[in-house]
Amino acid sequence: MAKNDIVLEEQDLNDYILLTGRSNTKLAQTIADLLQKELCQPISIFADGEIRVKGIPNLRRRHVFIIQPTSPSANDHIMELLFMIDAAKRASATEIIAVIPYFGYSRQDRKEMPRVPISASVVAKMIEHAGADRILTLDIHSEQQEGFVRIPWDNLYGSYSLIPEIKKRSIANMVVASPDKGGVVRATAYAQRLHEAKSIAIVYKERDINVNNQSKSLGMIGNVKGKDILLVDDIIDTAGTIVNAAAHLREHGAKSIRVAATHGIFSRNAIEQINNSIIDEVIITDSVKLSEEVLKSPKITVASVAPLLASAIKKIRTGESLSRDLIL
Amino acid sequence: MKLFSGSSNSSLSLKISKLLHISVSPVDIHVFPDGEKRVRINDNVVGQQTVVVQSTVPPVDNNYMELFFIVDALKRSGAEFVTAVVPYLGYQRQDHVFRDGEAVSLEVVIKTLERVGLDTIILCDLHSIKIPSVFSIPVTHVSALPIFAEKIKQENWNDKNTILISPDMGGIRRIKILSELLDNMAFAAIEKDRDLQSGWVTAESLGEGKIANQKRAIIVDDMISSGKTIIAAAEVLIKKGIEEIIVFATHPIFSEKAPRLLENANIKKVFVTDTVFVPEDKHFAKLEILSIAAIIAKELETK
Repeated sequence: MAKNDIVLEEQDLNDYILLTGRSNTKLAQTIADLLQKELCQPISIFADGEIRVKGIPNLRRRHVFIIQPTSPSANDHIMELLFMIDAAKRASATEIIAVIPYFGYSRQDRKEMPRVPISASVVAKMIEHAGADRILTLDIHSEQQEGFVRIPWDNLYGSYSLIPEIKKRSIANMVVASPDKGGVVRATAYAQRLHEAKSIAIVYKERDINVNNQSKSLGMIGNVKGKDILLVDDIIDTAGTIVNAAAHLREHGAKSIRVAATHGIFSRNAIEQINNSIIDEVIITDSVKLSEEVLKSPKITVASVAPLLASAIKKIRTGESLSRDLIL
Repeated sequence: MKLFSGSSNSSLSLKISKLLHISVSPVDIHVFPDGEKRVRINDNVVGQQTVVVQSTVPPVDNNYMELFFIVDALKRSGAEFVTAVVPYLGYQRQDHVFRDGEAVSLEVVIKTLERVGLDTIILCDLHSIKIPSVFSIPVTHVSALPIFAEKIKQENWNDKNTILISPDMGGIRRIKILSELLDNMAFAAIEKDRDLQSGWVTAESLGEGKIANQKRAIIVDDMISSGKTIIAAAEVLIKKGIEEIIVFATHPIFSEKAPRLLENANIKKVFVTDTVFVPEDKHFAKLEILSIAAIIAKELETK
């Protein structure tokens, strides 16, 4: 090599920036600690409630990961995410990855009745249009949503973090149950990965689309008599679904009932309902910021998704496969 | 034409609909226990001209999301044309990068409105006249200044004893238009400084024009948010020998303790419009609310 040739330094794959909004700073900080990175939270609020992004570090030619579950209050947290993406774009970031462990509005993913919006599509398009280059989610409510946008969308599963926690309990007569027909694929996946699980059961639920957040269990497929049940779901919101399903399983002779779910929204009096129910234990991840009331409940165990998301961030940066190592 | 209303300003929607001799078409806006909203249009809109009225005032993010969802629902339900009436446009003050590393929040929300399929938009007394150029769709920009001019004439304030005042140099264009509507009334602007960190406003002196021997000043601004700009301007004017101060502002955002600040200030009367709904607990004795409905209805009639 001639002496005056310009030498391009090899790209430092550890050179990336982590940003977060206000929705789950604890999770973001845990991820940052695992990655041994600084975390920047650039959100402030004007007197009239408008969100402002300020004080982000130099992002020129940097890869930027924005960790922001769009959990309640979803509308504010979505806007924060969009403005951080916009600020990163304008600050000349090379690549902007929206890390959205919980994706708000993902349950409004279709026209379930005439003349309604597809709100999840509106949100996904906003994120793409603001300038995100890639989306990373965890247990998105329906994977078809990845088709709402043209940018790459990686979806991981909470089971990666939940299954090791379940295995610690060495449950003997396990049957994996889904609280509704939509969760059968998830229940099957858990049963395959939990070798101690003997079979699956499905509780059949009907939701009245004219009455929101109300459902009742109607029937059941599978034998649960004398079995230890692992009820799996993606989201616990008002907890109505799992509490009803648990009661139904008990009526059919279930011996014990554990719940494993990824996202703990715990709206209204969900925790009180769980505490007063026949459910023995709820294993939940920290994809959504958990309140003191949730953490204090004797029935709640938390399995952190921070190691999973930290590994995913590293692999996205270095260009390794996510599906080979991180889908369990 | 079918007119729909978001939840931020249903009283203005009703006034506009009455002027157009139509009724407000029903929209269900449901808030789930987790705070997510679901909207549903309860009227057939296939092939229809539709209008959505929604001020994107605080809580600004909620009101914007509602507007996005209503427009998305109308488009997906076959509406031929969707006009949004956004009397107050939230995030309009974040229209450029003030300092490195900031977002242009206004552009993000505008791009979203266009992306969900909005065809045209009617806006009112924008903070900056450059804002319409951020849109790719046609923008109609209306003003409350003719209403203010009318009121000033009614009260006989358009005399030699009165001067029109802009509380900052940015409002000089607005004050010139009002002056022209009132047969070239005298006007002046105050020089204002805003600390970017604290947001506090200090007014020092008259930047343009001067007070001759007028005793009454009419301060005109696009919005009242914290009220600090108006209060600072009033203090300068009192020092310059003004005895009576009247305030006209289009958008009563009234954050923090603005109503109390204004009520206790050396100001005789505050006129605002109904672009922003003012709840009962923010009303005060000096406040009078004028209506922008007729100006908006006229624009809609010509569409």
